[in-house]
Amino acid sequence: MSDPKAKKSLSDDSCCQDGKSRRLVIASTIGVSAACALFPFAAGLTSILDPVVRNSGSTAKVPWTRVTSVINLPDDGKPAKFEIILAEVKDAWTTYKNVPVGAVYISRKGDEVIAFNLKCPHLGCAVDYRSKTNDYFCPCHNSTFGLDGSVTDANSPSPRGLDTMHTKIEDKFVWIRFQQYRPNIAEKIPLS
Amino acid sequence: MSKFLDWLDNRSGIRGLVKEALYEKVPGGARWRYVWGSCLTFAFFTQVVTGTLLWMSYSPSAQTAWESVYFIQYEIWGGWFLRGVHHYMAQAMIVLLVLHLMQVMIDGAYRAPRELNFWFGIALMGVTLALSLTGYLLPWDQKGFWATAVATNLIAEVPLIGPMLQKIVVGGVEYGHQTITRFFALHAGILPAALIGLVVGHIYLFRKHGIHVKEPRPKKDSYFWPDQILKDGVACLAVLLAVVILTLYFKGAPLGPPADPSNEFPARPEWYFLFLFQLLKYVPAFWGAVIIPIALGLLIFIQPFIGSSRKGHQFNIGFWWCLLAGSAGLTFLAFSEDRENLNHGAAVREAEWQAERVVEIAQEDGIPPTGAVTLLRQDRENRGRRIFAAQCSSCHRYNGHDGRGYLVEDDQSAPELAGFASVDWTTKLLNYDHYISPEYFGGTAFKEGTMAKKVLKKFDAEETKLLPQVALLLSDLAKLPYQEPLSEEKRERLMDVFYDDLACIDCHDIDSEGEGSAPDLTGYGTRKWMIDFINNPEHERFYGKKNDRMPAYGRDKKLSTEEIEIVVDWIRSTPADL
Repeated sequence: MSDPKAKKSLSDDSCCQDGKSRRLVIASTIGVSAACALFPFAAGLTSILDPVVRNSGSTAKVPWTRVTSVINLPDDGKPAKFEIILAEVKDAWTTYKNVPVGAVYISRKGDEVIAFNLKCPHLGCAVDYRSKTNDYFCPCHNSTFGLDGSVTDANSPSPRGLDTMHTKIEDKFVWIRFQQYRPNIAEKIPLS
Repeated sequence: MSKFLDWLDNRSGIRGLVKEALYEKVPGGARWRYVWGSCLTFAFFTQVVTGTLLWMSYSPSAQTAWESVYFIQYEIWGGWFLRGVHHYMAQAMIVLLVLHLMQVMIDGAYRAPRELNFWFGIALMGVTLALSLTGYLLPWDQKGFWATAVATNLIAEVPLIGPMLQKIVVGGVEYGHQTITRFFALHAGILPAALIGLVVGHIYLFRKHGIHVKEPRPKKDSYFWPDQILKDGVACLAVLLAVVILTLYFKGAPLGPPADPSNEFPARPEWYFLFLFQLLKYVPAFWGAVIIPIALGLLIFIQPFIGSSRKGHQFNIGFWWCLLAGSAGLTFLAFSEDRENLNHGAAVREAEWQAERVVEIAQEDGIPPTGAVTLLRQDRENRGRRIFAAQCSSCHRYNGHDGRGYLVEDDQSAPELAGFASVDWTTKLLNYDHYISPEYFGGTAFKEGTMAKKVLKKFDAEETKLLPQVALLLSDLAKLPYQEPLSEEKRERLMDVFYDDLACIDCHDIDSEGEGSAPDLTGYGTRKWMIDFINNPEHERFYGKKNDRMPAYGRDKKLSTEEIEIVVDWIRSTPADL
């Protein structure tokens, strides 16, 4: 470039006689190069974003799952833990049959049954029921929840109480719609 | 030879390149404090090589990730060593990063004209931490799975695009195949490429500005080759040795039980992220994951400018010492809280047990195409522990815990069942003091029952002496797999004690028509007796109407027949720990 002759020969080129068309050539060169450079990234963009558009389900689609016989729940409201086994779960290219996907705590008082997702609404660790203090406790960041699922300790980092699941009793069995919710926000928004 | 080199140099200019690379001037002479950058380059080189070799055996999917790492760890010749070196070198890299950074800060080598290179270094630190984070998940064991769940939930804290970003990283809503493939692409593709690019820039800029030396120069100037390279080499050797020693000492990197979303595990990150983990106990996740890192990042970004004055430089050094001390303090708190937490210890030991168990089964029976997680889910021993913990342990205990090692908060209200029907167990059962203690029937109505008050307590010294013989007889009836049976003769003799000397037969039957008012001891402690008992303790063969709160698990369908068999087999399989 420092060679003035070389520069001259360039501008002598028939296509670039005025500054305007030269700018056009430069812009086109940058454009073409950029298009070539970005092309492979663009080709993969949809694949990368696929998880965002996939799986748009709603609560209505979540199936009822039979969890346990009512008789397994003590009448005094003391919670018991149960695995949730779904008949069918899809993970990308694999379809699993009868696979455990998580767990719930269920407690009963008379005919009233309440079920919580085991996952702490803070960041997703599994909470434990503590019988001495009769509450739920997250062993990761120390959130505590009452038997009704509400946050009991002001220092708990969880922004909302434990997530209740839809439940019903049919044929003396407890049925649950097992659902995960978006962690760490005050609102309960289903993950889908 | 020299002819060939001449030719090569003519075509490639290699001599000039080598010269430029090796004869870099080191003002003030070679020094030990300059070795950290070379050590980091060496560590990264090790990671690229060992990582690529691991890649040759690793298979990223939810059904094969743990399984292939298991294969590397337990089957491939020397695989455990390769994996161990990769694991501990990753940790060494973090330590070296801190040393390198502190050396640069203290020497003031981050200030003009080296601002740009300082930012390259900070970016390199970020990429290295991201490599650690993504690598933690790849074995797809419980530890990696649960910790990554927490880490990826933090991504959702990014304003506006957080939830979308989380989905892109996780590959959907649930953790599975796509999480592993994406993490693997990050760990073995995108992040190393970024790191190489940044390292090239970092070294180029370092060469451009040269080594920063404090005046007056401590020694005469020298050259990179061989003075500094020797020091660098020795330091790299020390790093290598430390990593090899760690690998040998810990027998390679740990591998937890396979990831299972229904098998909870208290998530903990690698030790160098523990400070962040601990911080999240005190501040909202948005602060811990977004505000504080951004604020610190911004401050670090402008540090080269702050450092242009003497006071500013001192502030910068103080800032990094405070940051390190704060992190160390939080890390210490995280460790000590976990150490004091008995349940956390139990959870860790439980995971260790599961890890050992699944390896045992895998080595014996092999791993099915459904993956190793099904081995544990179907394993009768594992299920026995879990059923006991869920169904029995709120009243009974097993070696004083819930069957899996967790302490139970409820008071014990029914007998300890580890070593049930063993000689030790029955001998204690027939001792009045033990019988009425919480370890046996102290928490039940039987504490005040006929056996306690009218039999064991009333026996005279002579009769009490005979009780261990009855205990021996009862235990023999159980046919426990770990006890030798008695000889026919001996059994006959003990039967005489049972029938005549102590007249137990007045209430308890053994091989006779069911007349007695107390539990029938025919086949006491055998698999069948226990299954029948758990099925319905209110049956007239057992407690009848005197049953005190023991549920009829089979009759009332609280447990399936298979589950009762599993828990019985598990209780009968091993003696008590003592």
